[in-house]
Amino acid sequence: MSYAYLFKYIIIGDTGVGKSCLLLQFTDKRFQPVHDLTIGVEFGARMITIDGKQIKLQIWDTAGQESFRSITRSYYRGAAGALLVYDITRRDTFNHLTTWLEDARQHSNSNMVIMLIGNKSDLEARREVKKEEGEAFAREHGLIFMETSAKTAANVEEAFINTAKEIYQKIQDGVFDINNEANGIKIGPQHSPANQNMPAGGSGGNQGGGCC
Amino acid sequence: MAFLQWRRFNFFDKEPVKDPSTDQIFDQLKDVNVSACTSGRGQLVVADFEGNLYFINRQMELTSFRAYEIRVTHLLQMKQHSIIITIGEDEQGINPLIKVWNLEKMERGIPACTRLTRAIPGNKPTPVSCFTVHENLNFLAVGFENGVVLLFKGDVTRDRHSKPRTVYEGTKRVTGLAFKTQGKDVFLFVVTDNSTLSINLTAKDQQAELENKGATPGTIVMSDASQDNQLVIGRQDAVYFYQPDGRGPCLAFEGIKLQLHWFRGYLIIVGKESKTLPRAPVLGPHGMEMNTVTVYDIQNKFIAYSAPYPEVIDVMCESGSIFIFTGDRKFYQLQEKDTQSKLEMLFKKNNYALAISLAKSQQLDQDGLIDIFTQYGDHLYSKGDHDGAIDQYIKTIGKLEASYVIRKFLDAQRIHNLTKYLQALHKSQTATEEHTTLLLNCYTKLKDVSKLDEFIMTKDREVDFDVETAINVCRQSGYSEHALSLAEKHKKHESYLKIQLEDIKDYQRALEYIGKLDFEAAESNLKQYGKILMSQVPQQTTELLKRLCTDYKPTDKPLIDQSSLDGVLPLFASILLDSSGIGRIQKANAEEFIHIFVNNSARLTEFLEHMIEVQPNSSNLVYNTLLELYLHDMVHEKGISARVERERKTLELLKNPDANYDIDQALILCQMNNFKAGILFLYEKAHLYQQILRYHMEHREYVHVIEACKKFGQQDPQLWVQALSYFASKEENCKSQLMETLSHIDKKNLLPPLMVIQILAHNSTATLSVVKDYIVRRLQMENDQIAEDERLIKQYREDTEKKRSKIEELKTSAKVFQASKCNICSHSLELPSVHFLCEPHSYHQHCFESYAENDLECPVCAPENRKIMDIIRAQEQSKDIHEFFHNQLERAPDGFSVVADYFGRGVFNKVTLITDQGGKPSSSTTR
Repeated sequence: MSYAYLFKYIIIGDTGVGKSCLLLQFTDKRFQPVHDLTIGVEFGARMITIDGKQIKLQIWDTAGQESFRSITRSYYRGAAGALLVYDITRRDTFNHLTTWLEDARQHSNSNMVIMLIGNKSDLEARREVKKEEGEAFAREHGLIFMETSAKTAANVEEAFINTAKEIYQKIQDGVFDINNEANGIKIGPQHSPANQNMPAGGSGGNQGGGCC
Repeated sequence: MAFLQWRRFNFFDKEPVKDPSTDQIFDQLKDVNVSACTSGRGQLVVADFEGNLYFINRQMELTSFRAYEIRVTHLLQMKQHSIIITIGEDEQGINPLIKVWNLEKMERGIPACTRLTRAIPGNKPTPVSCFTVHENLNFLAVGFENGVVLLFKGDVTRDRHSKPRTVYEGTKRVTGLAFKTQGKDVFLFVVTDNSTLSINLTAKDQQAELENKGATPGTIVMSDASQDNQLVIGRQDAVYFYQPDGRGPCLAFEGIKLQLHWFRGYLIIVGKESKTLPRAPVLGPHGMEMNTVTVYDIQNKFIAYSAPYPEVIDVMCESGSIFIFTGDRKFYQLQEKDTQSKLEMLFKKNNYALAISLAKSQQLDQDGLIDIFTQYGDHLYSKGDHDGAIDQYIKTIGKLEASYVIRKFLDAQRIHNLTKYLQALHKSQTATEEHTTLLLNCYTKLKDVSKLDEFIMTKDREVDFDVETAINVCRQSGYSEHALSLAEKHKKHESYLKIQLEDIKDYQRALEYIGKLDFEAAESNLKQYGKILMSQVPQQTTELLKRLCTDYKPTDKPLIDQSSLDGVLPLFASILLDSSGIGRIQKANAEEFIHIFVNNSARLTEFLEHMIEVQPNSSNLVYNTLLELYLHDMVHEKGISARVERERKTLELLKNPDANYDIDQALILCQMNNFKAGILFLYEKAHLYQQILRYHMEHREYVHVIEACKKFGQQDPQLWVQALSYFASKEENCKSQLMETLSHIDKKNLLPPLMVIQILAHNSTATLSVVKDYIVRRLQMENDQIAEDERLIKQYREDTEKKRSKIEELKTSAKVFQASKCNICSHSLELPSVHFLCEPHSYHQHCFESYAENDLECPVCAPENRKIMDIIRAQEQSKDIHEFFHNQLERAPDGFSVVADYFGRGVFNKVTLITDQGGKPSSSTTR
């Protein structure tokens, strides 16, 4: 499948907040109530359309465990967007947001679009973190905010797509240098204006760089 | 703290490899100083530092040959070709030599060496650290200790004099090389001690650095297609996957990794426990260090096997199992368990989710999967997780008997789950009537009207349930509205009406509904429900019936199709449509609806009146019924004027020339209701004049008797006779009538006088004076008649006598022909001539020949003769036509004369008349 852009995302947040479930819901449209702990970094991809353009989202789902932090950190680099997830039924996951945010800002480029996600919105009865608190945190740190439920799929699409829109807008505004892959954005194989000069890996797709 | 590892299972059976010939543990390599191992095409290959290659086939038979003078350092068996490529040394010093062996071609007992190439980067001899060959046998890459990678392009099995190309030059030892073909591109992964990169060999050796970390020798492997042929590198912190264009996911398996191998979607890691234990490392036999062999299922994320082995030299994946070659030179075979036993192990641990994903990745058939879903469902059910259980059971729909599940959940508390299951059952189109019933019962029990609405009312939804059942259930549980809309939607008119009439009792709407139906449906439904509708809403029902029986059209259809109303062209179309539409109008038979109007004669009258008005050719039942109604009304009407009015109406109906009533029945009705005018009219209409007469007689209405006789005497003269005998039999004085009757009889000569006398004789009141005139007149008439007859007889006798004498004369005396003129041309007769005896007549012969119809007859007398002959013949014939005779006899006023006439014709004569009457031609020729 050809695409105009490829955006690289990471999903970060405390263990058990539903990062993998969000990804599964977004890529496979299903929910697995029993999900194993993510060991390391997993990966998912999906095509979306923004402004009539095909955009491939390459999403890196990281382990939330503290002990894997050093491994997951190495994946922050080169991400154009990040979903910072907390669990609305566990206040501690909300309290850790600052640490995660600092971590993300430190190891990624400054233009990275970060979306704050309060997950498990279906468990209203067990809510510990008010929506207003999430909004306030997002405002304070310049993030986009949304509450989602990976179980009911509420707002899941929107969370990923809104982030992509934000990145796309930044590209249009010229904030991102799209030729620098460290920004987590790639131009699709057939859209590349200077295909010959791209590094070998730059083609990404299967049909890239036909010359030998 | 969560246990940061995947679940651990034991999906492999470990078994030390035995020598089948001795049944002892295989130890034929116990003294070999192993340098490298490889495997492929059913055999394990081991190289040693003495330059030997050892082959072990499936039967564990060992063969060997010496490949190098000094040692073998690297060894690779191609998977798709029977080719082994080795690197070793034949001479002292650093002088690596590549040899390619064709195992299928033997030369002097050893495989043929098809290629021998020195591997020296530039001019500096350097030990080889690793090498790899592309399976297409066109690329061979060799990595050296000094960080150089040499690429040999072209057929690797043959000596080529092309120079190898240096594709990479680093500073650190090359620890791993791997090819990957992606589309048209061939990539070479190069891993050194401190970096990982990919080189696109088909695009000017473009390099892409993947990571600034490398790997130690042995910890690099290519995954198979199940993991997209990625490069897998095991580092202490994790296992990383790489694509040619970048790093992929990573799996955080901690520990020092010695070797990585790939076996059918499993990643095998030989590692050392990284944790420094307080005591010395665990040592195996002979003081060997213990290693851990762990088999990971990457796709399903679990550990399939893990066990310690003493100092693992290598792991070879061959013939569907894993061979672990340990430091004590023993082989251990790891045999994968079959899917079923794996699943059973998972079931035992209640790890159904994993079982399902495992079954899917092992391509287990549908039945197997269903079985897992069932077991999973059972497990969740027994744990009390009914919501989860039902989700699993839903996946079994189509295979697992639905009743199994339903029975489990058939309990008031579980009704939500049951509902969910039943819904799924309906969605999958496998629901039976019972399921529909059950589901609807669930809804009604839950009082879940919205769900019920959704189930029933959702528009444009495929009907996945039995409508009939659904309607019934809704009705039974009191959801009449739902049943109603269901019936309406699915055009179950009968059900709709039944509900509307029996449950909701909204007769008005039911009637409107019928009015919207197609003709047939409307007709049959009205027949069925007409009675109840009539009793509740007589006015409207009657109106509908009127429509139905005249020019029915469903009320919701426009009179003329909308399409025909626009444009000029459709004008014609609409005319056409109109005419054809009228032709197609269906009408119901009014009589079939009559019974509906039981106890409502007023409406029935109205209906029937309408019917005959619109449709004068209605059936006789319609008229009969209407007549009956009229008569009934008439009889029960008290008021005189109203009664007269009714009588007038009834009579009008009877007199209506179109009225198609059954006369007999009408008569009976009139008689029953004693409707005189009607009775008489009907008699008259049926030409039952006698009846009229008798009616009058019975009622002793002499005047009417006479009138009737006068009126109908023309058609049936016998009326007078009857009147006569009636009056004659009357004891009282009715002389005038008798006289009148008698005069009529006389005038028309209806009875022989004897009969008249006889009839009158019965009566004591009839005096001679009454009949005197009559008798005198009659006698006079008879006398005259006799005289006339006698005169005639006399005349006939004379005629006969005359004829006889003439015949006699012809027979006896001669006849003189003296005519001078021809009777045809009236010219003077000339010879030759023809003469006849009859007149006599004479002719020229040529005249005779041209006029005569035959030679024997006189042309002048022939017509007269033929007439007489015809009369005779007719008389003869008619005497045989008996029917005609009887007929004549009956019709004749005087039967006796007919019989006499027949006697005259010779009815009883057996003699047939001889037809040689008239003159025989006696042609003579006189000269």
